[in-house]
Amino acid sequence: MDNFLQAIDTLTIRFALTAVLLPLLAFVFNFLLPGRKSQLAGWISTVAILFSTVLSISVFAKVWNTNHVVHQQVIWFTIGNTVVYAGVLLNNLSVLMLLLVSVIALPVHIYSTAYMKHDGNLNRYFAYLSLFCFSMLALVVVDNLVLFYAFWELVGFSSYLLIGFWFTRDKAVQANKKAFIMNRIGDIGLLTAVIILFTQFHTFDIDKLFGSGNFVSYSGIHNGIWSLWGNLPNNVGGVWVRGNFVQLPAIWQYIAFGGIFLAVAAKSAQFPLHTWLPDAMEGPTSVSALIHAATMVAAGVFLLARVYPLFNDIELTTLAIVGCFTAFMAASIALTQTDLKRILAYSTISQLGYMVMAMGIGAYTSSLFHLVTHAFFKCLLFLVAGIVIHQMQHIKEDNELDIDPQNINNMGGLRKKLPFTFVVAVIGALALIGLPFTSGYLSKDGILIKSFEWTDGRSGILKVIPVFAIITTWLTAFYVTRLIVKVFFGELRLLNIRAGINLHLSDGNWQYKLPLALLVIGCFFPLFSINPFLYEQAWIFKGLSNAGGLERDNVYHTIVPIGVNILSVLVMYAAYAIYIKRRNNPFPQKGVLFNLSFNAWYFDTVYNKLIVKPVLLLCRSAFWFDRRVVDGFVKLIAKVGIALSKLADWTDRNIIDGFLHLLVAVVKGIGNFARMFQGGKVQYYLFSMLVIILALFILKVVI
Amino acid sequence: MISLTDFLIVSAALFCIGLYMIVSKHNAIQILIGIELMLNAANLNLVAFGKYDKLNNGGQMFALFAIVLAAATTAVALAIILNVYKKYKTIDPDRIDKLRD
Amino acid sequence: MILQMNILTLLIFTPVLFGLIIALMPSAWRGSFKYITLLGTLVQLGMCIWIYCNFKSGAAFGGINHEEQFQFVQKLPWINLDLGTMGKMQMDYFVGIDGISIALLLMSSVVMVIAALASWEITSNLKGFFVLFLILDMAVMGVFCSLDFFLFYIFYELMLLPLYFLIGMWGGARREYAAIKFFLYTLFGSVFMLLVMIGLYLSVKDPATGNHTFNMVQMMNPANYQPGSVFALISHQTIFGMPARTVGFVILFIAFAIKVPVVPLHTWLPDAHVEAPTPVSIILAGVLLKVGGYGIIRVCVSIFPEIASANAYWLGLLGIISILYGALNALAQKDLKRMIAYSSVSHMGFVLLGIASLTTEGISGAVMQMVSHGFLSTMLFFLVGVVYNRVHDRGVNHFRGLASIMPKYTVFVMIAFFASLGLPGFSAFIGEAFTLVGAFKSSSVNGLLPYWMAACGSLGILLGAAYFLWTLQRMFFGKLSLKGGTVWRTALTDLNLREKITLAPLALVALALGIMPWLVFDKINTSVLAFVQFMHLK
Repeated sequence: MDNFLQAIDTLTIRFALTAVLLPLLAFVFNFLLPGRKSQLAGWISTVAILFSTVLSISVFAKVWNTNHVVHQQVIWFTIGNTVVYAGVLLNNLSVLMLLLVSVIALPVHIYSTAYMKHDGNLNRYFAYLSLFCFSMLALVVVDNLVLFYAFWELVGFSSYLLIGFWFTRDKAVQANKKAFIMNRIGDIGLLTAVIILFTQFHTFDIDKLFGSGNFVSYSGIHNGIWSLWGNLPNNVGGVWVRGNFVQLPAIWQYIAFGGIFLAVAAKSAQFPLHTWLPDAMEGPTSVSALIHAATMVAAGVFLLARVYPLFNDIELTTLAIVGCFTAFMAASIALTQTDLKRILAYSTISQLGYMVMAMGIGAYTSSLFHLVTHAFFKCLLFLVAGIVIHQMQHIKEDNELDIDPQNINNMGGLRKKLPFTFVVAVIGALALIGLPFTSGYLSKDGILIKSFEWTDGRSGILKVIPVFAIITTWLTAFYVTRLIVKVFFGELRLLNIRAGINLHLSDGNWQYKLPLALLVIGCFFPLFSINPFLYEQAWIFKGLSNAGGLERDNVYHTIVPIGVNILSVLVMYAAYAIYIKRRNNPFPQKGVLFNLSFNAWYFDTVYNKLIVKPVLLLCRSAFWFDRRVVDGFVKLIAKVGIALSKLADWTDRNIIDGFLHLLVAVVKGIGNFARMFQGGKVQYYLFSMLVIILALFILKVVI
Repeated sequence: MISLTDFLIVSAALFCIGLYMIVSKHNAIQILIGIELMLNAANLNLVAFGKYDKLNNGGQMFALFAIVLAAATTAVALAIILNVYKKYKTIDPDRIDKLRD
Repeated sequence: MILQMNILTLLIFTPVLFGLIIALMPSAWRGSFKYITLLGTLVQLGMCIWIYCNFKSGAAFGGINHEEQFQFVQKLPWINLDLGTMGKMQMDYFVGIDGISIALLLMSSVVMVIAALASWEITSNLKGFFVLFLILDMAVMGVFCSLDFFLFYIFYELMLLPLYFLIGMWGGARREYAAIKFFLYTLFGSVFMLLVMIGLYLSVKDPATGNHTFNMVQMMNPANYQPGSVFALISHQTIFGMPARTVGFVILFIAFAIKVPVVPLHTWLPDAHVEAPTPVSIILAGVLLKVGGYGIIRVCVSIFPEIASANAYWLGLLGIISILYGALNALAQKDLKRMIAYSSVSHMGFVLLGIASLTTEGISGAVMQMVSHGFLSTMLFFLVGVVYNRVHDRGVNHFRGLASIMPKYTVFVMIAFFASLGLPGFSAFIGEAFTLVGAFKSSSVNGLLPYWMAACGSLGILLGAAYFLWTLQRMFFGKLSLKGGTVWRTALTDLNLREKITLAPLALVALALGIMPWLVFDKINTSVLAFVQFMHLK
């Protein structure tokens, strides 16, 4: 029986591995494909991801809700006494993500074959896209932290490549650099956390660390030491680990959390590392849909879910506060942006803020549920945005206008020209707002209700969190309605600039429509729950939460959804009224609050002034120091050496050689002096003789 | 009565005058005269001390020898002076310092 | 004395043979010199691969302080002077390798092949260049193989001379300055090393023969030190009021730290790199710096283990300073080659940090980092050479949008840059990550390095991303704009076949080591374990 199970597990693992490796194969193939623009590239990648999707579905079906963790590993390498394994870990969380990523990636691939058709570097695009899919799929199934980190960074790398896909655009290149460096900050955090966990527990194995009833769940902070506590069951860890258990000071538990938090903040664009995501919209829109809306940015939340048992109450509260703040801040920025993709980007940040907050307040399942539903409708909205931008681009090129095709102030009235797009956009928007009968309602509901429950037992200041969460919902309702109304309702505002421009717009062929149709299914409730109002009955919720059964034991479950949604509808109507009924904008386009929102709370400016500039200054001064002080010291030594040698030369010539010269001079001088007496004057000689004789005589007489 | 001492004084005075002339004069002839004076001072001494040798008159004899010799040397000296003058166009001994080197 | 052929001896002296052939050939045949050199390095590479494949690992092949555990050993009496009452002078020709050497040996032989391929750009005085090149090759191989301190020192000094001429004669505008600076700087370190070597010689006696010996393996055994000698452990001699062994350690460390280079002894490096021709830059960065790291492990730490562990904190601190300081300086550079030179300082800081941790992870990581940096810096300098050969300019600000005219070149630059900044899947990631793991673990395993050092080290990874990406953005992306205008535009052709053949193996090796790090770790593991165990015995 065991052997049989083992065989099944092996098969499942093989399926999962194939699902992961197919995109890699497509990447290699497209990379080596001759030429630059070949329709074949698109189909290779698409077929690869199609098979991945099919395999993912089968893996999902095998593993989901079986309470059986499929985990197999092989030795990767040995370093010292540490054996590093490479393996696959399939539990509910990873198979859910596996399925989600491939299911979202498939429509995006199909969409891309049409969307990127005219680009000169089609091969490169699909190679990158496949590389991303490979990294992302691998990220969700790997079983140890080293591999997790590796794919975590590869995901960031492929995102870097895709953001900078149009590398001749300066903005795109600036954006991808910014994205990668900000992600690198998170990577360092994650690396630090991995190292700390390894030092503490001597293993990289995710299952051993965070699996049910394993190391992390038995460790905690006691007397300032991060240690195991309670009676460790025998099945936990085994003798080997217990003997080697290291007790780090408590501070390192918090630093590990800090590292993970940085990683999450970077990848999922949370405050304070969120500023790269709006800039990342410089990449192709299909890329934004897949990477910067649905999958990669969700990796941060996925990481939180993976290491959830690690966090203690303080840390969770931090997550809740940061998530809530990010959600509110991003929503407030989205209110005033005019770039279609940037609005959606800030909306993504805001929704990710919800997920992180949900993790913080203990709504683990709701958070992941929201991750899944959000992936569908945000991806949908981005693809819609892609179509709209594409059409605006056509108008721009056909009429040789000088406009920004992404500016929503130029759009309007597109619902008649693009009826299908309009319908799916509205559905996606409603799901994003979270109105009943959409999937967004189900997932968002869970978070809001839980946030109220969470504050019940907590002190005053934390009660702000659910309030802001709800305000954010209304802000969301407002900016989403503004977006839809400005793009699809009213009249095309370009006609105000120049009348009589020719428009031949269309929804596009099946390659555009099919992905939208696929994604729109995920915006409705039936895919997730039979009951459109009770999120607890969603199968994802049941599959991920350990506690079964309904717990509608308090009043929040009724009041919150009703109150929130009624007000949301009102807000939507207000927005509709403002932007349609009154043509001119009722809000002043100046003032502190407007500027704050329009300039994205000045984060970029502040970072530039407080971090980028000082770092560059530090670099320059380091270089100055290197040239002047360190190298200067070396040069000084060289100069001293030269000076010393000159001194030695001087000494040699003047003192040592000089002594000899002096000796010669003295002898010569004496000679000359003696010569003076021999004047050749006979009388003088006589006189001298006389003097000497006299002197002798006098001496003789005197003495 | 003229005593020996008076002779000696005159002789010393002559000697000193001669010596002075030799040292100070710039004319070779004058120096030669000085030499003669000194010689004669010596002769005077010889003659003066001759009274102590009444038997042989050694003093006078030597004085005579000296006078003859002096005459001979003077002749030689004068000849040298003449040759010097021929060569150097001067008889100032100060100018003739070829002995120096 | 039976002269039997030993593979290491062959390996060391093959280049000299080829050098002789070149020296004897008439200058008219100068066109063939580069092919002969390439052939020589390839033969050498073949031998190294054979050695690698036949290298045995396991508990019986740890090496380090067990003479009998070294492999491919050849030991011949070399200079045996009978000094009467002072005993016999014992210098042996003693070569052999263990796990620490094997990885670096193979890496060096690959780098030499690449350097030979890069020598195509040399056009003047070919005979001199290739003969010096091959002498340098011999010296490098000798350093990694010799186990006799005297032999080691000879090879070590022998590396300097060819390099001096190679930089001074075939270098850039300020080549004389750079060559003299490099030469004096390195000589400064090694001259004092000579004193320590003699001190060690006078302190150590070979128990088998009773003679003083230069055998490094014997020097690692405290029992071999004569009581009362300068460096004996128990006698506590002092030099200038400091314990003699500490002084000896510090002097040896300075000598090797100059080679590594460790901040603040690094300033010869940017000058030498900037002025050196491409093949010499490749050898400098790829091999010479590793000699420093290797020397620290093999000589400095092994002979003075107790001093090394007592001062590990300072070594680690120097490593951290090198990492951060090198990275900051790299960020400020406007000359591409200088930027890469400073990045070398930063990357070699990891090596020192790993060694200072004295944990298995740290030392394996350090060796891995050395191997990885050997390949990657070779690649980086070769890439700089590509653009410099075409337009004779390296200013980062003088280029823009190169990706649109040199796509293949850009692909290789991106591979090299991302591999260097530690992208997983490439070798540098494994090296840096495990160096940091070791550094962090050190505190709980042997208490040598504080926890914060690893955290600071990881900042270096961030800065690494910053300078490489900034350079990519400035030079390769954006709209095409060149300082030299259309002249440059025509000169800047994409990679030719030779360049592709040179770069592709390097990229593949970096990738292979990133995905299959066991290629290195399996060979070095036993020795690293033996080394760490040896360190803890003291």
